[in-house]
Amino acid sequence: MKKYKKSLASLGLAFGFAFGFSSMAVAGQFDGVTLKVATWGGSWKANMEKIIVPKFEALGGKIEFVTGSPAANFAKLVAGRGRAPFDVMEVLDAQVGDFAQVDYLQPINLDLIPNKVNLQPFQYNETYVGSWNTQETICYNTEKFAELGLAAPKTYADLAAPALQDKVSLPDINSGAGLANFGGVIYAAGGDEKNIQPGLDLMKKINATKFWTRGGETKTQFESGDIYAAVVHAGWCTRAARAGSPVMTVHPEIKPGVKGLAKEGWLGIMKSSENVEAAHWFINEYLTTDFQYEYAINSGVFPLNQDAIEKMKTDEINAKLMELDPGAISSMLRLDYSKVDKTAWIDGWNKTLTTN
Amino acid sequence: MENRWIAYLIPPFIVTLLLVAGSQFVFIQNSFYQDLGLGRTGTDLTLVNYLKFFTDTFYLKTFWITIKVSAIAALLTLFLGFPIAYVVARMKSKLAMFLLAGIVVSTFVTIVIKVFGLIIIFSADGVINKTLLNLGLIERAYSIIGTQEGVVIGLMHFTIGFSVLLLYSVVVTVPPSLEYAAQIHGASRLRVYQRVIIPLCAPGFVVGGLMIFNMCMGAFTSAALLGGGRVLTLPVLVQRTVMMEVKYSTAASIAFVLLVSVILINLFSLIAIRRLRSARLVVA
Repeated sequence: MKKYKKSLASLGLAFGFAFGFSSMAVAGQFDGVTLKVATWGGSWKANMEKIIVPKFEALGGKIEFVTGSPAANFAKLVAGRGRAPFDVMEVLDAQVGDFAQVDYLQPINLDLIPNKVNLQPFQYNETYVGSWNTQETICYNTEKFAELGLAAPKTYADLAAPALQDKVSLPDINSGAGLANFGGVIYAAGGDEKNIQPGLDLMKKINATKFWTRGGETKTQFESGDIYAAVVHAGWCTRAARAGSPVMTVHPEIKPGVKGLAKEGWLGIMKSSENVEAAHWFINEYLTTDFQYEYAINSGVFPLNQDAIEKMKTDEINAKLMELDPGAISSMLRLDYSKVDKTAWIDGWNKTLTTN
Repeated sequence: MENRWIAYLIPPFIVTLLLVAGSQFVFIQNSFYQDLGLGRTGTDLTLVNYLKFFTDTFYLKTFWITIKVSAIAALLTLFLGFPIAYVVARMKSKLAMFLLAGIVVSTFVTIVIKVFGLIIIFSADGVINKTLLNLGLIERAYSIIGTQEGVVIGLMHFTIGFSVLLLYSVVVTVPPSLEYAAQIHGASRLRVYQRVIIPLCAPGFVVGGLMIFNMCMGAFTSAALLGGGRVLTLPVLVQRTVMMEVKYSTAASIAFVLLVSVILINLFSLIAIRRLRSARLVVA
C-alpha cells in the first residue's frame, strides 16, 4: 500500500511537471489581459487570429492588433515618445539601427521563450527574437519573357533590357523591402553601403514603371499584365503562382560567391508594455512549427523554425520558387544597416529616381 | 439681437481653435527647430528646415509639380464639370434629382476604391488600353501609373463630383429667363454662353476653381497611388518624411510651406481677379 501511495505521488509529480509547472500555459493565466500586437494586416494578422489568438483566449486573455507597416508603427512610437499603443512589435532588420538610437524596447527574458530551441543561436538575443526572413528575388513572367525572346534574368542588370522598359516594378525605398533591395542593387552594380551611385545608375537604367510600396501590388500587376518582372520577395511570387500567374523566381547574382538577398524580421517587447508575461508568451507561440509553417505558406515569408523549414519542402510551389538549401540561404547577402546612411540613400533616391 | 447670435458662434469657435489650431501650432512650432531625426529636435529656434526647402532643387521641383498638377486638374475638372452641372440644373424632369443624388453618392465612395477603379480601367488588359490597341491607335499598352498625367487624372476623379455639385449651385442662380431674352433678341446659343451664362457664372468658376485647386494641393491618396513613387507631390513627400525618415520637423516645415502657399495663391488669385474686374468696369 505504501509502495502504491509512493508511486501515485511520483506519478502526480510527473504530471505536475509535464502539464503544470514546466508549461507556461495555465488556464486563466491571462484573465483580463489584453495584449496589443503591432503587425501587418491581411494574411499576417489572419494567421495570428487563426492559430495564436484562440490559444490566448483559452488562457483568459484577448489579443488586439495594431495593423500597419513596421515603419508606420515606429512613427507611432516616436510620436508617442516611446509610449507605445502596443506591447509587441514586428521590427524589420533595417529598423534595428533606429531602435538602437532610442530606448523603446525592453530586454527579453529568453528563459520564457522555450521555443527558441527551434531557431539558430544568432536568431535571438536579449532585445530581439527572430520571427521570419524573406528571400528577395526577381520574380518574372515566364510566358512574357519567352514571347519577347528574353532569357531568364540572372541579375538586376538584366531587367534593363529595352524590351522590358516600363514593364518592371521595383520596391520603393519607402517600403519595407526598399532599403534591402536597393542595397542588393547597389552591391550588384559594384557599389557598397558608402558608394551608392552605381546602384542609382542601374536603377535609372532599369526605368521601373512603378516603385511599389506593398508587395501585393506586384501580384495584381502580374495578373493585369502591367508588369513582366518585379523585384519582390519570393513569397509574393509564390502567391502570384498560386493565383495562376506563370511566374518564376530568380535569386539574383550579387557578387562573386553571393547569390540572393535576405531580409530579416524580428520581434521586440515595448518598454512601456505592462503585459510582459503575455508578450513573452506571444513570441514563444510565434516560433511554434505550426504557426511558422502556416505563416510561411499563407504570407510567403520564410520560417526560422527548423521543423517548419523541413515541412516547406513538401509544398511544390515553395520547393520551386524558394531557396530551401540551408547553405545557399546562409550565403545570401544581408546588409549591414549600421553602415547605411539612410538620409543619404533616400536623398540620392529622391533626386535620381523620381521624375522630379 | 445680432450680438446674441454671435454668442452662439463662440463655443464652436473655441472647439475648432483648440482642435485644429492648437494641434497645428504644435506641429508648426516644431518646424522651427533643427531636425535631428527620429522625432528629436534641436533646442534653438532656427529656419534651417525652411532654408533647406528653398535651396534644395528636389524640394522646389516637388513644390512646382504639386502646383502644376493641381492647377491643371482644377482647370480640367471645371471644364468637364460645368457642362454636366449646366445640363442637370436646366433639366425640368425628376431625372435631375436622381442624377444629383448619384453624384452625391459617388462622393461617398472611398478615394482608395476610386483610384483602384482607375488603375483597373487603365491597366494593360483594361478597357481603355484594349480599345486603343484594337483601334491601332497605340502600339503598346499605356500605363498611367508613375506619370504626372496619371496623377492629374486621379485628382480629377477625386474632385469631379464635388465640382459638379458646386457648379450646379452656381448655375441655378442664373435665371433661365435671361437666356431666353438673349435668344429672343437674336443671340445664338454660343453667344448666349459667351455673353450671358459664363460671365454670370464667372465668380462661381473662380471660387470653385480655387476650392478644387486647394483640394488637389492637399490630396494624398490619388497622388501616392497613381504617382507610383515616381511622381512626388508635397503631401506624399510629407508622408514619406514622417514614415520613412521619421523627421517630424522637416515634415512640419514642408506641410507649413504647403499651407502658406495655398493661402497665398488663393489670396493673390482673388486680388488679381478683383483688379481685373475693376479694370473691365472702368473700360466699360
